[in-house]
Amino acid sequence: MTRQRFLSSLRGIFLLTALVVVGFPLVWVTLASFKTPAQLNDPSLIFFGPSLINWTHVLEGGILQAAGRSALVAGITVIISAVAGSTAAYVISSYKAGGTVTRFGILAAQVLPPAVLVFPFLTLAYVVRVNDSLIPLIFAHLSFVLPVVTWFLIGFFDSVPKSLEEQARVDGFTRFKAFMLVVLPQVYPGLGAAIIFGFTLSWNDMFYGLILTPSKSAILPVAIAGFNTFRGVELGSMSAAILVAVVPVVIASFFIQKRLVQGISGGAVKF
Amino acid sequence: MRRSPTVNQTSVGWFQLRMLLPLLVVSGIAVGLPLVYAFYLSLTDFSLTQQGVAQIVGVDNYVKSLSNGGLWDAIATTTSYVLIAVTLETILGLLIALSLQKQKWARDITRAMLLAPMFITPIAVGLTFRFLLNDQLGAIPFLLKSLGLNYDFLGSGKALFTLALIDVWQWTPFMVLLLLAGLESIPKQPLEAARVDGAGALYIFRRITLPLLTPVLSVAILLRSLDALKVFEYVYATTRGGPGTETETIQYFTYQTGIQFFRLGEASSMAFILLIIVLPLIIFLFRRLEKRNTE
Amino acid sequence: MGTVNLQGVHKAFGTTTIVEHLDLDFPDGSFTVLVGPSGCGKSTTLRMIAGLEPVTSGTILINDQDVTDCEPRDRNVAMVFQNYALYPHLTVAENIAFPLRATKAPRELALRRAGEIAESLGLAHLLKRKPKELSGGQQQRVAIGRAIIREPAVFLFDEPLSNLDAKLRVETRSELLAIQKRLGVTSIYVTHDQEEAMTLSDRMVVMKEGKIAQVGTPSEVYSKPNSVFVATFVGSPKMNILEGNLHANVFTHASGESWTVQSPHEGEILVGLRPEDVAPTPDPLGNASIEQVELLGPRAVVTMTVGGQKVVSVVDAAKMTSITPGTKAKIDFSPDVAHLFDPKTKLRIP
Repeated sequence: MTRQRFLSSLRGIFLLTALVVVGFPLVWVTLASFKTPAQLNDPSLIFFGPSLINWTHVLEGGILQAAGRSALVAGITVIISAVAGSTAAYVISSYKAGGTVTRFGILAAQVLPPAVLVFPFLTLAYVVRVNDSLIPLIFAHLSFVLPVVTWFLIGFFDSVPKSLEEQARVDGFTRFKAFMLVVLPQVYPGLGAAIIFGFTLSWNDMFYGLILTPSKSAILPVAIAGFNTFRGVELGSMSAAILVAVVPVVIASFFIQKRLVQGISGGAVKF
Repeated sequence: MRRSPTVNQTSVGWFQLRMLLPLLVVSGIAVGLPLVYAFYLSLTDFSLTQQGVAQIVGVDNYVKSLSNGGLWDAIATTTSYVLIAVTLETILGLLIALSLQKQKWARDITRAMLLAPMFITPIAVGLTFRFLLNDQLGAIPFLLKSLGLNYDFLGSGKALFTLALIDVWQWTPFMVLLLLAGLESIPKQPLEAARVDGAGALYIFRRITLPLLTPVLSVAILLRSLDALKVFEYVYATTRGGPGTETETIQYFTYQTGIQFFRLGEASSMAFILLIIVLPLIIFLFRRLEKRNTE
Repeated sequence: MGTVNLQGVHKAFGTTTIVEHLDLDFPDGSFTVLVGPSGCGKSTTLRMIAGLEPVTSGTILINDQDVTDCEPRDRNVAMVFQNYALYPHLTVAENIAFPLRATKAPRELALRRAGEIAESLGLAHLLKRKPKELSGGQQQRVAIGRAIIREPAVFLFDEPLSNLDAKLRVETRSELLAIQKRLGVTSIYVTHDQEEAMTLSDRMVVMKEGKIAQVGTPSEVYSKPNSVFVATFVGSPKMNILEGNLHANVFTHASGESWTVQSPHEGEILVGLRPEDVAPTPDPLGNASIEQVELLGPRAVVTMTVGGQKVVSVVDAAKMTSITPGTKAKIDFSPDVAHLFDPKTKLRIP
């Protein structure tokens, strides 16, 4: 019995250490966001009178607008992805529509290095004269969010028993109605997880954002990078900006824990 | 794979097409078109600073890129980065997943907290660590110094490893996620049978758990590797490729060529070379996933 | 040699008791079946003997050694699971050889022994296959082979036949029995199927809600059930239980019918009648009306109502000619086949 106890404590210490390693940078950033520049010079300062100077600086500097733009781009991307992705995922799952080629294409598009597509987006944006807007960025985000969302949903549709759909067809529904009214509701939890995950992916992107948006309408991650000026990092403001980007997404992540695995592996791993 | 009753062949075909169409259209514009255009670009001498129409220069860009020492260095750098990061993530991820699996209380909340780093925008992670590891202002050098240790995280010979560690911090949770699910999908009864059959814990792990985990393990390693080689934000946030060209990863190198030096045609050819190198991995991953799906 | 003793073995989760202070002995070479409805604690008991389930209190002895705190691997038991629990990534040969390999036996020796055992089980041609390529019956035999190879002190069977279809179940049952008799290893077998229990066991342990309801040979348990529960659990179709009053050796049923029953007992009583001990005779003035007649080859199952209560009888098919649904019949039984139970305690009245 003592051997079990020993292993159990070892496990506990190990996980606790992991939690500390994970939490430490986050706590550090949170503290830093409340420190004045003078206080920031002292890395050992843990207890101090908090100051809101960074937050006011960041909020006045337009961080919320940048967040708003990120949210807009992510929102549009995710809505299009959800609509296009769900219908496609359904027929791919049920009918093997598009065959192996489509499935491969979806996988490849997800893992494609952004360096391949970014230059065309840049030049095409100029050609179509939309370079001064968020439109090229939306398309760039669609290039990887749509496949990811579709991939997620294929896995979820795979686990809906086909007898459900057959029953609906026997009861008189058309294929589309059967899909909309019977099958789709079954994957709502998975759809929710896919949407949150897709939103996160778009929200977190910096590479496309850096290259494809004009600096005056930067999205959030780019704005954060903007604090990394040649004067050295404006740590306090940067920390505040980081929290604005990080907190909503991490909170959202708590809700999709369970479905995440099934989605990422395209149904290959069931939770 | 589910198979549906096909009563009327042509109506099924149309139905499938209609449902697939939005995906095909959007992907066509968002992926297909740029891909083709990127290939076209790679065959021209397009440069953002140049006036006039770009000329087709055939495979000139490819020749130039392939003989560019910097590109090969970047490939080597990225390869080391991926090897170090993914190996560490796999081992750590497995240990954490095994521990979480046996954990009795507060398990879900622990897991949720441990998975948080995955969801943070990488640039924030990069900048945070740049801050944390900073010699004057960072907590970690401070703690090390109070123990009498001095370590130049972003200095020569050490910077790439440090970046790999940042990757490990952010992405081990991804491995934990997949491996934990993989562990939980292993049927319990054979494991009990093994205990009764006289096998010790290590033998069970070696001979039963690990072999049954291999499918998920290989998918996880492939997915993570394909993602790791795209590393850009950590470099952009901390070293900008330095010291020297020590941390110039492929994506960063390509970015420099295209955006800093404006040589889009050349940069596109580099991107395609990367794509060709990566393609076998993608195909291998695809095969593995399809195999699991048909089991 | 393989004796097992359970002393005061108790298993509880918080306030729920699964197994209550069980005292049970398993003699060497015996074939004991633990039988009972779902949730009665039989599987838990088996798993505690195996070491897969920790004991809340009490002692388990195997060959007079206290193994209560021992890991399964140190108990020298072998177990056959309901779902066979074969190692999916190993071949049949490797599956059977596993227990030897796990205890550091050399590879050639282990595979050779596995081959011999596979031969004796009719699996020799399947040695290179993986479990998923085998039928249920074949997988079951691999599981048995894996249990045999260790020459353990005790065989433990956890409902091993439940996943097989009816016909296969009966065939495998007799094979199992033959193997056990040949090897002479003490066996403890768990099932919810009372027919299986009756055919396989030397000794039956009927369990209910974590406690032992009755222990005995199959014929003892069948012919002298000590409670209404055991009486109705063992035997198919179920024993009929009639409520009524016994006075001066006359049993009066609620419907008004009465029969002779020899017993000094007075007052309220439950009379148990096995279907084969009740014979209906056609009689237009009879006390029973025939509801249903089901022909099962040589026998027929007759369902009747007597005074509003359902009574089932089993008769020779040959006698069926005049018994049809909708007609009336008279029920009779000889006094010595009646099982008498106290209505309050539900226990047998001697």
